[in-house]
Amino acid sequence: MTHCIPLALLFAGAPNTQALLNMHAVDFVIIAIYFAVVLAIGFYLKRYTKTGEEFFMAGRDITAWVAGLSFICANLGALELMGWAAATYQYGILAAHYYWWGAIPAMLFLGVVMMPFYYICKTHSVPGYLQLRYGEPTRLVGALSFICLTILMSGINMYAMAVVMKVMLGWDIHLSIWVSSLTVGVYVALGGLVSAIFNEVLQFFLIWLGALLIPILGMVEAGGWSALVARIHANFPQGDYTHLWRPMAHFADNPMGIHWTGIVFGLLMGSLGYWTTDFLVVQRAIAAKDLRSAKLAPIIGSFFKMAVPLIVILPGLLALGLLPVKLVPESVVGPGQHSYNEVLPLMLARYCGPGLLGLGITALIAGFMSGMAGNVSAFATVWTYDFYRPFLRKTATDAHYVSMGRWCTILGVVISIGTAYLVMHFASIMDYAQAVFSFFMTPLFAAVFIGMMWKRATPAGGFWGLLTGTLSSLGMWLLVKLDPSKLAWIALSVHAKTLAESMYRLLWSGIIAVIVTVVVSLCTPPQPVEELTGLVYGCTDIPSEGHLPLLKRPIFWAGVSFAIFAVLQWIFW
Amino acid sequence: MEEKPQGLHPAGDGEAHHIAVDQKDVKPHDHHMIPVWFFVGVILLIYGVIILGTGIYEYSSPPPTVLAKTHPAVWWGALLTVIGGFYVYTYMPKKS
Repeated sequence: MTHCIPLALLFAGAPNTQALLNMHAVDFVIIAIYFAVVLAIGFYLKRYTKTGEEFFMAGRDITAWVAGLSFICANLGALELMGWAAATYQYGILAAHYYWWGAIPAMLFLGVVMMPFYYICKTHSVPGYLQLRYGEPTRLVGALSFICLTILMSGINMYAMAVVMKVMLGWDIHLSIWVSSLTVGVYVALGGLVSAIFNEVLQFFLIWLGALLIPILGMVEAGGWSALVARIHANFPQGDYTHLWRPMAHFADNPMGIHWTGIVFGLLMGSLGYWTTDFLVVQRAIAAKDLRSAKLAPIIGSFFKMAVPLIVILPGLLALGLLPVKLVPESVVGPGQHSYNEVLPLMLARYCGPGLLGLGITALIAGFMSGMAGNVSAFATVWTYDFYRPFLRKTATDAHYVSMGRWCTILGVVISIGTAYLVMHFASIMDYAQAVFSFFMTPLFAAVFIGMMWKRATPAGGFWGLLTGTLSSLGMWLLVKLDPSKLAWIALSVHAKTLAESMYRLLWSGIIAVIVTVVVSLCTPPQPVEELTGLVYGCTDIPSEGHLPLLKRPIFWAGVSFAIFAVLQWIFW
Repeated sequence: MEEKPQGLHPAGDGEAHHIAVDQKDVKPHDHHMIPVWFFVGVILLIYGVIILGTGIYEYSSPPPTVLAKTHPAVWWGALLTVIGGFYVYTYMPKKS
């Protein structure tokens, strides 16, 4: 009966004359079924999560396809759905860089180059790898920064969910935050990572089948791609919204206000940081049942990642071309106006009647809940294994740590509810996320990558590189906040906008972390080679896949994925 | 990158772990968890039937949405029903 509680709360908040949409009974039934099923999965899987390995790592028993879909769905949260549709309305197709250049090379790099080290050392987390490679102090920095990041990102997810509820249904924003987050908290606390993964796979299908109708009907209405481009140019003649690389020769030539160097180097650095070291996604791959599946997980995910713009970027472009009203930033929205963040709900309202509307809203809810579940499950693992066990209680039974994992799942949800309210003070969900993201990710990537590839990197080098990189990023952000004119220093142009600033901050903090790691390592004694076995290139036996047929080799599918990626760049150049 | 045959691989914590390279190296389990694909099929089948039914019910008076005359609820509901039915049939838990 527990699963009835959030549903009752949902219905209690339904009547509101301010709603954008008129919900029908069938839509409520569809949403109610979704909540019932995800909670039922949590209750069903509780019996399979008795040990720490089962609760935190899904028993390391996940197949390549499940790991791959879960890998991509853990990332398919609020940012992907509402945030990037909103960013597309602001910046045009340039937002697709975050799906293609800002994802595919990094995902393939993770699968082909870095995953063998994560998998072979049998770490349970990315901070766990830092401990094996550099020692406890570096793990502490990595764990604390990750804990902060996951909590903040959970807050973003919750806020986005609440906005959808408010815009679409007129539900109270605070009620929506509590209902959605507690539902996630219950099913993750019950079934651990395996429950999060099961629900992510379920959510993957719902997101696609719920959101795909918008681009299909939108393209029918627009009359095809060429007609849509013509409409966008007619509505917004001042900028190029439909080319990926062509308008990036100068800062002032594109809506994002960024130079191609910011995308090529800054975004690449940031994406390597996110996709290869953010434990939220890496956790899904290292829970795979064998090394080949672990390597395939991000590669399978890359194919779907390339396709996500169909349900996120294309609706944003369709809104630019088809919506009869112009949307405005959240900070200046007035009576009768809609903000950028409402692009996707508005498009949903445009095409979906009873039933389909419920499915579309369920897709959005699923997206938010999958992103939040990813954060919460990763938070529980890092908190328990990388903070609680090494620093607070070193000797306890496995059952105790499982219990701690369940309780800190709930605690993580409650804390992130508090952070959700912080998000409301920022003009754009996406810009806020990028600011938070850029503090930690590139320095972490620098520490992990150098640690994997360079035997000479020392514990002191890794620690100081990670710390100074993170602090420098935070410092640059504060500098621009306190004195906006300094934006020209960080992003190299007075024409740069917030996202462009994030790109360059990713680049500079990564470079600082690399320089500090290398310099400090060279100034400190090297580690004995025997301590690096299983952790570093040149000291690790990578199991051969030579006996596998071509179609089963991860490297082959990585090549196919990269070829498709290259063709997309050419088509939308 | 150097490649060696599979087997025991010492990790950074000094312990030796067996690395499963492929499916054949994975130990079979004694539990029978219902595959996630079955749950996917169940929810898609339920949604498909509901949406298809709604589309048929409102066929003569479509909702006031853009392109409503193409009856998206009918063909999208039918698609969900087919996909859901396929997954339920294929991954239905066996009584044995």
